[in-house]
Amino acid sequence: MTPWLRGAGRRFGTVAGLIGLCLLLWILTPHFLTVANALNVMEQTSINAIVAVGMTFVIISGGIDLSVGSLVALSGVVLASTLKSGWPVPLAMAAGLGVGAATGLINGLVIAFGRLPPFIMTLGMMSVARGAALLMTDGRPISGFDAGFRSIATGRVLGVPAPIVLTLAIYAVAHFVLSRTRFGRYVYGIGGNEEATRLSGVNVRFHKTMVYVVSGVTSAIAAVLLTARLNTAQPIAGIMYELDAIAAVVIGGTSLSGGEGNLGGTLIGALTMGVLRNGLNLLGVSSFLQQLVIGVVIIVAVLVDVLVKEKRA
Amino acid sequence: MRITNNRTQHESAKTRKHEKEDFAFRGFVVSWFRVCRWRRQQKGTLSAALAVVAAFGFFVVAGCNRGGNATTSDRKPRIALVLKTLNSPFFNDMQRGAQDAASRLDVDLVVQAADREIDVERQMQIIENLLQTGVKALCLTPSGSREVVPAVVKANRANIPVVIVDTRLDKMAADEAGAKIVSFIGSDNYEGGRIAAKFIVDISRATNGKANVAVLEGIPGHETGDSRLRGFKDGIKDTPGIRIVASQPANWERDQGFNVFQNMLQAHPEIDLLFACNDMMALGAIEAIRAAGKTGSIRVVGFDAVDDARKAIRDGTMLGSVAQFPDEMGRLAVENAVHAIKSEPFDADAKVRIELITKENVK
Repeated sequence: MTPWLRGAGRRFGTVAGLIGLCLLLWILTPHFLTVANALNVMEQTSINAIVAVGMTFVIISGGIDLSVGSLVALSGVVLASTLKSGWPVPLAMAAGLGVGAATGLINGLVIAFGRLPPFIMTLGMMSVARGAALLMTDGRPISGFDAGFRSIATGRVLGVPAPIVLTLAIYAVAHFVLSRTRFGRYVYGIGGNEEATRLSGVNVRFHKTMVYVVSGVTSAIAAVLLTARLNTAQPIAGIMYELDAIAAVVIGGTSLSGGEGNLGGTLIGALTMGVLRNGLNLLGVSSFLQQLVIGVVIIVAVLVDVLVKEKRA
Repeated sequence: MRITNNRTQHESAKTRKHEKEDFAFRGFVVSWFRVCRWRRQQKGTLSAALAVVAAFGFFVVAGCNRGGNATTSDRKPRIALVLKTLNSPFFNDMQRGAQDAASRLDVDLVVQAADREIDVERQMQIIENLLQTGVKALCLTPSGSREVVPAVVKANRANIPVVIVDTRLDKMAADEAGAKIVSFIGSDNYEGGRIAAKFIVDISRATNGKANVAVLEGIPGHETGDSRLRGFKDGIKDTPGIRIVASQPANWERDQGFNVFQNMLQAHPEIDLLFACNDMMALGAIEAIRAAGKTGSIRVVGFDAVDDARKAIRDGTMLGSVAQFPDEMGRLAVENAVHAIKSEPFDADAKVRIELITKENVK
């Protein structure tokens, strides 16, 4: 099978999983397949889906970013406090995104030049960013923004909730970058075989650093959305977002060992988790059982992926 | 294949009486056939396996889910109760009270909560999802007084009456967004804080009115914890001998109560009294006191009077706890929700009683 076909086959598999899930829910509850609920699910998925974009870049490059959840909190409180001190919305958003990018840059620099394992560096950053967010706010949430800013989450574009439009736009841009640009190819190269990529003349360190900047920026975009959605920036926001994002990426068929994967899969992965949570709510399933089911689905999805890969190899 | 068919007929005949199970079963059978078709086409690829997992997962879920399921919603009006969390005795009691009221009033109650108490985003998602299922009323204990306001607005737009329980919505945020609720049910946390303070002033007479107090706070910015703390501080204000030497949040949780109080003891060995804004933190702190070998020399006052705290009061490791009656809150919430559905008059701002539990009156 050609690599392209294999990629398509795997993507198809993930889509089939999602469709199977939707069919089941459609059978089990009359409330699932309505336009309102479909928009609802996509809106709820948007934050995880956006964080997962950066995570996909990082994981394809063979790394991991555990700091994304804390970055969501830090960018959120920076955005909120600048908004509160009277900065215009675009400037405040730039500040929030800037903090995300800067923190990502620090992650990337230490990983690429200091040769720290990504797991360790981003684990440390997870705590640093969380601490910074708590310090900045004294542990208290910052809330109450004007309707103009909130419309990022509450507005509609041609009847479609703005978060969905924003998410799709980000996926379109990121997909283009990952599959059609030199940077994208290098990300795959670094994840597949870093040494070979370096020997073929690619500035591996630079591109590796940029991968974490991408992750920082997408976390910050998610922070903008979350802040607008809740009308609040909480320093304790985003706890466990890293795990949700990683789950979306791996359900989407991206290999944790790097070098392969795609954003289409990640979007499907994020949607699968969103649909699962939504469906379990609609069915009125006990909250404890929900956790169990989600865990099982993650494990089995990746297990199947591994088995399939072994068979083909 | 023949065997499968026979089994199907046999099984469905058996379960025809039990509509719920039957429904789940049918769902499973249909998806199983779909899976079989997939398998034939795909020859054991990822898709088939994923679909099998999904099918299995939902079979289990639907099978286990006997209570409050979509299939019964046609008959009884359905009410949603969204709690902050389900892994706290306080909310378990509330759930029990609500469930009792629901079965008495013959309504269908769905109870859901986020995994973690601080996860407002998740709570908001749960509310949005439940609004899709055609619930007739929503009872809600907000994980964040301001954050859930947009979700309440969504319920308003769907014309679903909202009953807020335990933690008030932030007034400014609610007014600004135009969020409307039909009822608030809770105890006066400020008054509870004052009751705790008065108790501490009383017991400190034995030590010449002097006490070095440590405070364990709830999640910063939470209306409930803030009110308790304010009431407590106002209550000790006029007794100069009682000093707060340390005050830190332990986010309502037992393990954090342990850690934070252990650290406090390192920094302030003179602490001889602890006020914790809820019992879970107090119980964690009691373990830290035990570990430090200071049991008996540090007096502990908690809040909520959960079962474990009552036990600690009997054992003497805790001196007192301000009791709320979450089961009553749950009961009143469901009652008011039902009143609202039927457009009957009711007491919209119901205060649930509050009392101090000590060794004398503990049950």
